[in-house]
Parts: sequence; C-alpha cells; structure tokens
Amino acid sequence: MFAFLEGPIDVGALISAAQRPDCGAISTFVGTTRIDESERASVKYLEYEAYRPMADRKLEEIGAEIERRWDVREVSIVHRLGRVGPCEASVVIVVASPRRGPAFEASRYAIDRIKEIVPIWKCEIWSDGHVWVGSQVGTRERASPP
Amino acid sequence: MIAVDGIKVLLFGAAADRAGTRETVLFAEGITLDELWPLIAERYPGLSPMRDTLAFAVNGEYARGDTRVSPGDEVAVLPPVSGG
Repeated sequence: MFAFLEGPIDVGALISAAQRPDCGAISTFVGTTRIDESERASVKYLEYEAYRPMADRKLEEIGAEIERRWDVREVSIVHRLGRVGPCEASVVIVVASPRRGPAFEASRYAIDRIKEIVPIWKCEIWSDGHVWVGSQVGTRERASPP
Repeated sequence: MIAVDGIKVLLFGAAADRAGTRETVLFAEGITLDELWPLIAERYPGLSPMRDTLAFAVNGEYARGDTRVSPGDEVAVLPPVSGG
C-alpha cells in the first residue's frame, strides 16, 4: 500500500495487514514530528505538501526498487499531508520478509529514498514564523538566506 | 480557470512561497527548461536566488534542463524535497 493521508496513520492496522505465513519478520519505521526549539521560539506543528500524482508514483517506484533488491513480500509506505502535530507519525514504512535482514535493510532504504526522490515538502510552523525545511525560506528572521 | 494553450507552471513549497502563487501559465513554444527559467524568474523575481537549488519536472517526471517543453505541458518547479 502506497498512500498519502490527511489524517492520522493507523500504524497497527498497517502492521496487521503485513502479517503473512511465509514471512518471519515485519520491520516498521515510524517517522515522527520532532519539535525543535530555539531560545525564544519553538515549532508548533508541521505542514506537508506534495506534488501529486507524481509523489504517489515515486512511492510506488521505491516499492518496486525494494522488490528488485530484496526478498520482501509486502511493502507499505504511508505519508501524511497537511498539518501534523508534535510527536505524530508523519511517515510509516512497513516491510514484511521471510528473514529479518531484508526487512531491516529495505525499510532503511525506503526512508532514505523518500528523502531523495519523492516530491514532498515540509514546512515548520514556529511560534514566530515559518520555515520551509531544505530551502530555509520563510518568515523567521534567521531563516532568510544570505 | 486558467487556459490550457500555454505551458502550465506549478510551484511548490518554498518556491510557491517566494513567488506568491502556486500556478501560472507561460506562453512559449519549442523551448527547453533552461530557456523557460528566465521567463519564470522574470515574472517572479523572488525565485531567482533559489535557482541553483531547484529541480524541475515535466508532466510529472524529473527532467533535465535540455528537455523541450511545449504548450499543454505541465512544468513543476521543485525545491529540495523534505519528506519524512
């Protein structure tokens, strides 16, 4: 399953859906919203946007790359869009494999590839402005490029 | 509703922020992405400082600067991605 969701991700349901009699391992990666703080301000929440349907196709491509490299029987990647509050899951990756090695390696590969090729952008909404992560463009004073 | 007889340009993330819009249409024919860029930057000067950080997609797939674009194509201006 490859999907973008506007609401909370049901991690338990994704894991249950990956259980198979021919697999001895399910590896789950959950990326959560980290709240950074500076001296006078803190992140209130994150906003994600994506270029769809390109982003959907890129998630599927990552799944196909994984299936070519490792013996995995189930790959799910679900990413949030819109507002994501502190500590919430912004991305969940579930990989089922007959053996633990490929499950671990493939989930690591998936999150690394998401950060490379999937057109998703994260904006930190601080108490004193916003910053687009990766571009450092925004309304916070320190965010202005040189 | 924007007419479709031009090149549709979509802007995302920091690029949309800098341009103050998410979508525009440019009228040009038989040009490459590299040649399209000055037209985009002329319309939205705030984008110019971001040039070296940007990637482009044509009709939903990453494309190099020498890719030709025509009316009816969709060009996306993509700042560094930051999913996860």
